[in-house]
Amino acid sequence: MKDLFQYTAGDSVIHKLNPLTRILLAVAVCAAAFVSDNLYYLVGLLCFDMLLGLLAGVFGKALSLLKGLLKISIFLFILQILFVRKGNRVFWIITDQGLILAAKVVLRLMIACIPLALMLAVTQISDLANALVQVAHVPYKYAFTVTTAIRFIPQFMEEMADIMEAQTARGVEFDTKNGLKKIGMMLPLCVPLLVTSVRRTDAAAAAAEARGFELRNRTSGYKKYPFHWCDLLAVLVCAALIAGAVII
Amino acid sequence: MILLENVSFGYGDDSSTVRDISFHIERGEFAAILGANGAGKTTTAKLIDGLLKPTKGRVLINGLDTAKTRVSERARHVGYLFQNPDRQICKNTVREEIAFGLTAVWQNAGEDAIARRVDEVLESFGFSGDEEPFSLSRGERQRVALASVIAIRPEIMILDEPTTGLDYRECTHIMDTIKTMNEEQKTTVVMVCHDMEVVASYATRALVMAGGHLLGDGPVKTIFRDQELLKRASLLPPQIVELALRLGPGFENADTVEEMTEAVSARAKRKGAGV
Repeated sequence: MKDLFQYTAGDSVIHKLNPLTRILLAVAVCAAAFVSDNLYYLVGLLCFDMLLGLLAGVFGKALSLLKGLLKISIFLFILQILFVRKGNRVFWIITDQGLILAAKVVLRLMIACIPLALMLAVTQISDLANALVQVAHVPYKYAFTVTTAIRFIPQFMEEMADIMEAQTARGVEFDTKNGLKKIGMMLPLCVPLLVTSVRRTDAAAAAAEARGFELRNRTSGYKKYPFHWCDLLAVLVCAALIAGAVII
Repeated sequence: MILLENVSFGYGDDSSTVRDISFHIERGEFAAILGANGAGKTTTAKLIDGLLKPTKGRVLINGLDTAKTRVSERARHVGYLFQNPDRQICKNTVREEIAFGLTAVWQNAGEDAIARRVDEVLESFGFSGDEEPFSLSRGERQRVALASVIAIRPEIMILDEPTTGLDYRECTHIMDTIKTMNEEQKTTVVMVCHDMEVVASYATRALVMAGGHLLGDGPVKTIFRDQELLKRASLLPPQIVELALRLGPGFENADTVEEMTEAVSARAKRKGAGV
């Protein structure tokens, strides 16, 4: 799972987009998913997510994400069909409207989760930070905070896995098949994770200070992030996606 | 006690693997796994504890296949000291920390028995019990982690680079405690270590790894004198062994400062006697 957030190099059309356009594209797909109330359109958006993965050369990651979301989607689907009472009864207490609503909720979850992860997988975090500073005029401190938070996600996941491994070796039953028991046992582990995270953040802050963090400004980056025709095309796609969601 | 039969293991990205290794460690042995970074030492240690399951071959601990038993169950018999103590420590006081592992493993023991054992361990390590583990120094935190492992009285101790980042005094504290367990309670020790001086001072057997293969297995004294083997594994013997090798006959067993002192005294006496 942690590999999903790791950068995948490439020369695809998505890689050629400006980092901000990629994020805009992801946000537009999410927005379209929540604006649209049409089941077919939502299915289309999910296909568009997969197409994005294919165009970016990370189709495997897109499929892994979809697979990862499947469990929680099934859980949500069952919850929805059991609790929605409106509509005509189809089977037992399940209604037709319950089925449609459940499908929409699950589709929205999948559509919203996939594009942002995919775009982050094809964007160097430093590029995203620099583009935010240069193009969007975000102060470097804030851009650095956001990008550092993203950068640390896989490291924290790795750290948690290592902590769980160490506790298993001590006899804590993390190798149990009871999921609820496992979740209960994870709570005390927040302490070492928090301590390690604070120590890591402190070390990162000291290293940044030592390398002249305070001196950085909008003109510090040597790499430029101009917009090309493909960015314009992507913005049009974004507009079309949202317009389609409103109209259909 | 520990038996590895044609064991292979590969991570998904194939960056570090173990390839077809076999060895047997008897009760009470003190074995060190040596090798350069990426040789497969930690992977082997985790395979022994069952934290990793072999893709080929089998690992037996006291006759039980690690692929068929749970790590948490094996924790009653096998203690694992990780390189980074912060992954093991999760409680607010040293007393709670030592009791945490005990309550997980000694499930049938009463609270009194656990409290007594905690007190014993606190006393032997010189902790008051009220210290906050995360406020202690790196070396002290490593001692807390070791105390938690030792508290369960494991038959086998696996140490993954236990002396990394410790100063000489802290390193000696940790290693002396482990050596005492090994000698007095016949605890089997398997240690992954980069520090050849520590290996020479404490271990009796060395397993040399490179590229996931087991290149050599034998007494530490023999392994440290096999220069060809050490070269293949990109290792250097401790400086005292290099000195002994250069000094030649009469210094074959000088692997530590004490042994070198004895060898030099013996040589001086022989010269004095005109031999």
